[in-house]
Amino acid sequence: MADEKYILEVKNLCQYFTSGRGRNKLTVKAVDDVSFGVKPAETFGLVGESGCGKTTTGRTIIRLYNPTSGEVFFEGRNVAGPMTRELRKYLTDNIAMIFQDPIESLNPRMTIEEIVGEGLRVRGMKDKAEVRRRVREMLEKVGLTDEHATRYPHEFSGGQRQRIGIARAMIIKPKMIIADEPVSALDVSIQAQVINLLNDLKEEMGLTILFIAHNLSVVKYFSDRIGVMYYGRMVEMARGDDLYKKPLHPYTRALLSAIPEPNPITERKRKRVDYDPHRDHDYSQEQPSMVEIEPEHFVLCSPSELERYRKEYGL
Amino acid sequence: MVDKNHGLPEELLNLPDSDFEMVQAGEIKDEKFKTKPVGFFKDALFRLRKSKISVVSFWIIMAIVILSLLVPSITGYTYTEQSVRQKNLPPKIPFLEDLGIADGTRVLTNRKKSSLEDTNRFPEGCVLEIIREYEANGVPVVDVKIDAYLYAGVPEGEYHWFGTDYLGRDLMTRLFQGARISLLIALLSVVTNVIIGVIYGSVAGYYGGKVDMVMTHLAEVLDGLPYIVVTILFMILFGSGMFSIILALTVTGWIGTARLIRAQFYRFKGREYVLAARTLGTPDIKLIFRHILPNTVGPLITRAMIAIPGAIFSESFLAYIGLGIKPPEPSIGVLLSDGQDVLLQYPYQTLFPAILISVLMIAFNLFANGLRDALDPTRRGEEE
Repeated sequence: MADEKYILEVKNLCQYFTSGRGRNKLTVKAVDDVSFGVKPAETFGLVGESGCGKTTTGRTIIRLYNPTSGEVFFEGRNVAGPMTRELRKYLTDNIAMIFQDPIESLNPRMTIEEIVGEGLRVRGMKDKAEVRRRVREMLEKVGLTDEHATRYPHEFSGGQRQRIGIARAMIIKPKMIIADEPVSALDVSIQAQVINLLNDLKEEMGLTILFIAHNLSVVKYFSDRIGVMYYGRMVEMARGDDLYKKPLHPYTRALLSAIPEPNPITERKRKRVDYDPHRDHDYSQEQPSMVEIEPEHFVLCSPSELERYRKEYGL
Repeated sequence: MVDKNHGLPEELLNLPDSDFEMVQAGEIKDEKFKTKPVGFFKDALFRLRKSKISVVSFWIIMAIVILSLLVPSITGYTYTEQSVRQKNLPPKIPFLEDLGIADGTRVLTNRKKSSLEDTNRFPEGCVLEIIREYEANGVPVVDVKIDAYLYAGVPEGEYHWFGTDYLGRDLMTRLFQGARISLLIALLSVVTNVIIGVIYGSVAGYYGGKVDMVMTHLAEVLDGLPYIVVTILFMILFGSGMFSIILALTVTGWIGTARLIRAQFYRFKGREYVLAARTLGTPDIKLIFRHILPNTVGPLITRAMIAIPGAIFSESFLAYIGLGIKPPEPSIGVLLSDGQDVLLQYPYQTLFPAILISVLMIAFNLFANGLRDALDPTRRGEEE
């Protein structure tokens, strides 16, 4: 059953990709038994290195892929089941997605008005003047002007395009946004601009955001709770502050140790730790499982590791 | 000794927090662009106009199209009008005739000298010049240069610019009528090929997987059919007409387009903007025709443009081997085929169709190359 307090709850989600047949069959476990919940109006950050399955998780939730197994509840309704026209409409009405690449994610053959207005037209809004009015209103919100509506994507800068992507997602007034690395392709000054815009819109519209990123500084600034993924599995999940103060899983520690310090004096003393699953874990006797070590702080560990973590932080 | 400031100057160490402010925290406002919006086709047109070769080719094609529409109705002859007396007349063009080119004269060899006096055979004034006099079997014979028009009894002031064929039909009328038919066949077959190819390729490329596999293999089987045999079968079934030829050019012609479109779909269907449209709930049909297909128009237009001269050439080839359209309808291929029979006696009957088809093919190919460069500048100079 779905937990009442979550707007989105992912339970034991698995997404395997296969290639080849028979002896050549190859299975890639892109997402392997991942569970987490997102509360209404919060920002949940999903971090991890490239290829760890965070994007796949986001895309599976909105059903760009069909999940191998597991359940996804949105407002108590399982949206991971067989695809029907009605389910598609329910999903796409409530969840919108922002994409990573601002160049790739806008169709070069369409004007901004067509791109942003797509969501409205798909939803059967026939009145052209009304679509135009809503599009312009939305563009205004993301800091673009009226006149930009008739332009093509190639005329805009990266930051502007990403804001157009945000406008496209927001115009259908979704309850939740899956932001798939929305700022990784932008330079730092523009990152701040886009993040702040997302924050403003979130407060204004009461949005829930699933924020996928690999930049820990951005996630820390933006997220209420953070999940850390490694090789398709969730290894640690906690409130933002807890995760930064008390990282338990060796992978989280390795990640945190990689953040550069703004202060040059402390930066010089920063030591990087690296993570090697074969060295850092001994799972030959015990199997790891997700344990709630303190309220809202989950970590993937075996019983003996749990003991050790408890001792370290005196929990 | 360790520098306790870590090498930083003193004044940077104790900056008060109040000196810092957040950047870009306020409202974002972008400026208007100063330029005009430039869409895909506008951009392509701009590049196309800059290429002189493309512009010239375009106007050559347009000129041939316009001529083929106008000429058959302004020459004063029809393409079926026969006149056995006026067969195989050489070209005669006003003004040029005064210069000695295309003046409607011909050299007759081996004529009895006495027959020149016979005004029934040689009307008054038609003998222009006696080139050679000699004897054959004891009879005096001559080679004479005659005015073929007077000789054939063509009324004064009538001209056949490109001459006439073996049935005395005006070649210019037939040539441009033929060009009209050749262009029509090419256009119709290419349009049919593009429509079938786009739909087939879109479905195969978009859905992928098993659907794609079955469809691709089916196309490969069709592609393996011997094309001439199929054409002959169509000719037997439907008679030798335009319909059979178009059908013959279509039966395998669409496969290339389908392959191209399928490949383009594989290229574009995973793009983020397609995914974005899917997350907005856009239906498949709209994804195919609104989001993916417009991105393939560049290669598609180029391909269609290259296919037109290909189709004209295939049609000529079929006509040449005797599988052309039904007489008396002309096509460039039919004219070439007829002209080739009398190539040594009346070379102009082959010359004019040959020039037209060459110019047409070169113009179409150059124009298609220019279009390709204009639509997709990254593929400049590449071979198809």
